[in-house]
Amino acid sequence: MKPPHDMGGDPSEQLIPDKPDDPKFENAWHRRVLGITIAVGAMGAWSIDASRYARESLPRSDYTKFSYYEKWLGGLTNLLFRKGFINKNEIQSGSGELKAPLEWRQKVLSARNVGAALAAGAPTRRNGPEPIFTIGQEVCAKPPSDTLAIKRGHTRLPHYISGKAGTIIKSHGVHVLPNTNAHFLGEHPENLYAVEFKASVLWEQNPSSSDTVVVDCWESYLEPA
Amino acid sequence: MPHDYDENHVHNLLPAEPALRVKALETILLEKGLLDQQAVDAIIDEYEHRIGPHIGAKIVARAWNDLVFKSMLLEDAETVLREEGHAGRQGEHVVVVENTNTVHNLVVCTLCSCYPWPLLGVPPAWYKSDAYRSRAVSEPRAVLSEFGIDIPKSRSVRVWDSTAEIRYLVLPIQPKESIGLPAPELAKWVTRNSMIGTGLPQRPKDDQ
Repeated sequence: MKPPHDMGGDPSEQLIPDKPDDPKFENAWHRRVLGITIAVGAMGAWSIDASRYARESLPRSDYTKFSYYEKWLGGLTNLLFRKGFINKNEIQSGSGELKAPLEWRQKVLSARNVGAALAAGAPTRRNGPEPIFTIGQEVCAKPPSDTLAIKRGHTRLPHYISGKAGTIIKSHGVHVLPNTNAHFLGEHPENLYAVEFKASVLWEQNPSSSDTVVVDCWESYLEPA
Repeated sequence: MPHDYDENHVHNLLPAEPALRVKALETILLEKGLLDQQAVDAIIDEYEHRIGPHIGAKIVARAWNDLVFKSMLLEDAETVLREEGHAGRQGEHVVVVENTNTVHNLVVCTLCSCYPWPLLGVPPAWYKSDAYRSRAVSEPRAVLSEFGIDIPKSRSVRVWDSTAEIRYLVLPIQPKESIGLPAPELAKWVTRNSMIGTGLPQRPKDDQ
């Protein structure tokens, strides 16, 4: 079954709310979630891929009900628990029982290092082999389930391109593979490509003939068409 | 038990109300020595007061006024933005895509809500909405018309789904009336949405 976060092309009757002057944070607690998530992430205990996987593997009912920052908060709580940073009693009581190991307390982001940490980010470009696909080549996207490193694991291959043919339009170089990295199974860097799909190949209903969708795909997501 | 709970989803053991939920987790982390409250405040301050669409607008305005800069940006934005000090978290690998008379670019992230944070700041609510994530790829013209943009049939719409760590920034077409203005004035024409593809540059309000 298609996971709830993979929603590209899902039928939706909803209009898109455009609020040109919408506040950066709609609620005060949104700010705290953002700040805490980034600060804890800066300890380096997990990658963006593991964070994304934690959010998208929230129970379906929570994923669909939660607002953006509630997903962040739920994902962060579960990651902290699964990696052994906090325990069930602490979560239930809302209080830290024991100090964390010194090894991790030493890695806590301090206020004076915030600017540098945000400016550094977490680049995913790596050295690696030459690309096997060339610009202009026709390729076919595999089914997302064929790209998973573990059962119900993480992939960045959306269902709406599964089995569809497209054209390589750009080579992005070699990047960390989320499918393994999200599960702490190593970076396994691969060539990454921008693949352009004709709207008429993707959608049955009234696609405009000249419109296209470009999806970034790792090499192992693709096979020659 | 107040909430459903299973071994992998301990988040439901926290209070149900989101504001209390955050407070509880923050308290736990502070008591365990896993969080510096001042660092959290500093992160919020960065995104609330320093990092925002004015940064992307400055880059676009410079590209409009400087053809050499523009061609470098379109060729290798990642290097240019790193040198300019505008790379960073969620903008480590930026690609700039140019709107022309034959193509209109639109950016989305269907799988989560990836967005070029160092150039545009925190993503707006509509960008993170299920409606935008679902519809932008399958009916971009209907989505655009909800934003007040009608693209003629003679121009194609190219939607960029940010599935990897590449972040896309749209370089909009410069309005004719703005040609010749100095870059700081030009930057005021560059709206946030025009750099996502859901808007067009506009004469600044204080200029009308």
